[in-house]
Amino acid sequence: MIRNIIALTLNDLAIAFKNKTIYLILFIPLFVFLSLKLVDQKDATFQKIKIGLIQKEKYSPVIIKSIKAADKVFAISWLSDEEDGRRWLKEKKIDGILIGSEKKQRPLELLVLTKASFQTLAIVESFSALQIAAEGYRKNWISDIRPLQDSGIQKQTLPTWILMLALLVSFIIIPGQVAEEKEKKLLLGLLQTPMREFEWLLAKLFLGMILINLAVIFLHLLGKFEFGNSLSYVSFIEVGSFCFSSFGIFLGFLCRNQASARTLGVLVYLPLLLPSALSDFSQKLNAVAPLLPSYWFYEPIKAILLEGGRISNFSLEWVYLFLAGLLTYFLSYLLMKKRWLM
Amino acid sequence: MLIEVHNLTKIYNEKRGLLPTSFEVEKGELTAIIGHNGAGKSTLLKMLAGWLLPDSGEVFVDGINLKNRMALVRKVGFVPETPNLFDFFSVEYNFKLFARLFQIPILRIEETLREFNLLPYRNNKIQVLSKGLKQRVSIGRSLLADPPVLLFDEPTSGLDFEMTKEIYKLLKNTHASGKTILFTSHRPEEIKTLATRVILLHQGNLVFDGAPREYFQSKIYEDLYA
Repeated sequence: MIRNIIALTLNDLAIAFKNKTIYLILFIPLFVFLSLKLVDQKDATFQKIKIGLIQKEKYSPVIIKSIKAADKVFAISWLSDEEDGRRWLKEKKIDGILIGSEKKQRPLELLVLTKASFQTLAIVESFSALQIAAEGYRKNWISDIRPLQDSGIQKQTLPTWILMLALLVSFIIIPGQVAEEKEKKLLLGLLQTPMREFEWLLAKLFLGMILINLAVIFLHLLGKFEFGNSLSYVSFIEVGSFCFSSFGIFLGFLCRNQASARTLGVLVYLPLLLPSALSDFSQKLNAVAPLLPSYWFYEPIKAILLEGGRISNFSLEWVYLFLAGLLTYFLSYLLMKKRWLM
Repeated sequence: MLIEVHNLTKIYNEKRGLLPTSFEVEKGELTAIIGHNGAGKSTLLKMLAGWLLPDSGEVFVDGINLKNRMALVRKVGFVPETPNLFDFFSVEYNFKLFARLFQIPILRIEETLREFNLLPYRNNKIQVLSKGLKQRVSIGRSLLADPPVLLFDEPTSGLDFEMTKEIYKLLKNTHASGKTILFTSHRPEEIKTLATRVILLHQGNLVFDGAPREYFQSKIYEDLYA
């Protein structure tokens, strides 16, 4: 009995190796390790708060002197105006901006990316401590906190869910379906009809786009989220679903069977999802994320949904996604013409 | 000539595949392509069907080059060894999909279902059908567009005696309706029963081309099989 179990287990392992499932076991821990290395840096607890000050603003000399004195806690960046500061904030070059307030007794307003975040809490606590040290009584210099993304925590997670859905359809569902049609010779059967190769590819592309659109609409209906700037939002959803569906079809063409396609899909899915979705939590991930096409989809969607952004601010990203989609569509067409792994 | 094959070649590795092969097939012939496993039979048939791209050589069917897939699909129907049908859909759906792609009138589906005794199974999913029935659906589908040439890869492989007889009958009827048929086979009785011509492939080379009676009396048959 034990011999049989061992033989069957070895057989199962051999199958897992053959259909490349084993790569997931090796890849996922490696990927998590690398991601954590980028997020949890050793000196994370000692990171200075990067505070932005506007050059034209008339700050109280006591405040400026206190911040400069606490150079182990604060790093100051001088900004030309509030608009410049907002840009720096979005690019995560600074953690917050101090702006003069009309309330004379408590003269400062703090502009941050999101109100409910560890960074905002750290800024407020540090300033409170600084104020007590400088003036000796507990009355905070900061009178108000203004978030750049003025929305609920649920809505703030929406871009991540949308990215996750788009990538799930594109890299798990679509490659599997393409590979299944190849594996069962269904595609070869269809190629014995007057169907053109590009027609089949377009049908698959539309399938991916329809599934992503349905998932996004369903998400909005369930969460009762508003669509924001509809035209910009829809155009990014469409170009993103086009790009990733096309990428998914290409992945499907690289595989001989469904099992390989699923494994390859997950191998691509995680690296595309996590750095973009976690980029808010780490400067290093924020530096890596722009190398990925998913970030070029995630950032505009986030800006449109949470910051009132428009397509005109993200035309480069739109063109990038469209061209990347066209390129992978063309590569799939070439592989199909060559009857690749069919 | 209906089919002209000139130096058709496909090499998978140094030993396997089809070495440069040429032959011609006249209209109405029922040709058996035979040979041991790995002789190149299926490779030849798959290239004629457009499933595989040849390394070199040319094929013309009714004057149309094999490279012109869009025109060729109306001339050649292919029935693979394992039916490549959409398992999770019904017999009728599988026919309808192909009829739509070929832009064939729906009436033709009814005709084909009747012709192949598939009317009782029209709403059955492919996955619940027996292998013989699947093969019948596969043959029916390949005949939807009424192509003059039909290619069958091991049409009776894995079928029981009754089903094999049924497929023989189908092939004979199809041939009698004026179609030109090429099929691969291992079975001597199949060749004797059906074929009007035999092409023998051995290690990728065409080594015999003639009538079945000549083949069974030839030295090459004795050397390779007897």
